[in-house]
Amino acid sequence: MGDERLVETFVELADTLTADFDVIDFLHVLVDRCVKLFDVDAAGLLLAAPDGKLQLIASSNDQVRVLELFQLQNDQGPCLDAFATGRTTSNADLANAGQRWPRFSAAATDAGFAAVDAIPMRLRNDVIGALNLFRVRPGSLPDQVLRTACALADVATIGLLQERSIRHQEIITEQLQRALNSRVLIEQAKGLIAERLHIDMDGAFAALRGYARGNNLKLSAVADAVIAGRTSTYDLLGTPTPPHQPKR
Amino acid sequence: MATTSNRGGDRGAQVRLWVAEHAAALGVRVTVQLLCETAVARLGMSGIALTLRTSLDWSETRHCTDLLAGRLAELQVTVGEGPCMDAQAAGGPVLVADLDAPENQRRWPLFAPLAFEAGAGALFALPLCVGAVRVGVLALHQIRATWLEPATVTDSLAFAALTLRLLLDEQADLPSSDGEWEQGLPLHDPQLHQATGMVAAQLNVGMRDAFVRLRARAFAAHRPLIEVATDVVARRLRFESE
Repeated sequence: MGDERLVETFVELADTLTADFDVIDFLHVLVDRCVKLFDVDAAGLLLAAPDGKLQLIASSNDQVRVLELFQLQNDQGPCLDAFATGRTTSNADLANAGQRWPRFSAAATDAGFAAVDAIPMRLRNDVIGALNLFRVRPGSLPDQVLRTACALADVATIGLLQERSIRHQEIITEQLQRALNSRVLIEQAKGLIAERLHIDMDGAFAALRGYARGNNLKLSAVADAVIAGRTSTYDLLGTPTPPHQPKR
Repeated sequence: MATTSNRGGDRGAQVRLWVAEHAAALGVRVTVQLLCETAVARLGMSGIALTLRTSLDWSETRHCTDLLAGRLAELQVTVGEGPCMDAQAAGGPVLVADLDAPENQRRWPLFAPLAFEAGAGALFALPLCVGAVRVGVLALHQIRATWLEPATVTDSLAFAALTLRLLLDEQADLPSSDGEWEQGLPLHDPQLHQATGMVAAQLNVGMRDAFVRLRARAFAAHRPLIEVATDVVARRLRFESE
């Protein structure tokens, strides 16, 4: 863990009072930094929809098998447990997890992951979702790393829930609902791009994100423009590859 | 743990039960009209308007529970601004606890004063949408300025989700059979939306039509929607223009 980058990340995640704050872009920063700072291989963040189901909002890796891992956690898995209990839930050896989460463990092992940590997104009594960290090698995350990851999740949660004004409950609802719908919009755009460009979903997301970063736009704004036909699918490929490639 | 956020699971079922009870008591089918009336009673609102998006910049009122609801919907169309339009554009709720508050009068300089004059204190606009599929807006109003309790927010969103479901079934021309109705659409699965995007590209249609076609295919084949979506994403199934 580079201390300087860690400090930068904390500052970045605390800076949510900007006028153009966007929940999805903000949470993508969180999952990307987790992968870079903590030597984990994939990270994903799920937030609870109003019906209580967990919905994937940001992930460092968009391969279908990985997405299924997140989806599966509406039935069973560490994220669901972390969300339900408000406590960090870890498994250092998924191949020998036994009966705890049989379907989840099998799917995670299939996708190449050996260990997982799930950290609740929690502020006092509000649990709004959970952060999943996946690793391909078995073994526990060092205590210090796990504590730092929890602190990062806490700061991000405070950032999301902080009292922006007297009507903060309304603002939280407005923002989280908008983020949930933006996520759907992004998935629809990925499907459109994948089909038009004959690439997979991961490639489609990389194109979307590369274009958003290269042009300093929000992911959801680019997704919306692609769907509405204001941005051509082919334009997405015209942007040079961004310097920060998510770790696969 | 008691939380505001993961209480939702039971509320969807509770709201469905309220609607079913209301329908049974009146001896009618579940319609958007019935949903609106149940919501007014259960959420303690003064009234509700349901507006549907018919084209890019146009919406029509589908149902109003009272005159003021209709007036508020009409006003927004007339002056070209308001919480419902913002909710539609943003794809998220716009909750206005006090239409007479200075920040809201500034935010909607034409609409807010007229709405307040017409007798509305608070307006809560809940968009009915699935990503780019923007179906309409459910607008709840109160004659007094009032905050929404967190529990009421959760229930309002559950009513909106149910209304959305009914409208999507209507668009797809599918019956809201009891079994499927209870099950809900797998809107949490990213593959459903990825498949919608792929079908939109294959048929060169918008997301709304692509979603309808996907559901119609699953219904005709007696297969779960998510199975068909997974086949599309895995490129085992393609949609061809007729």
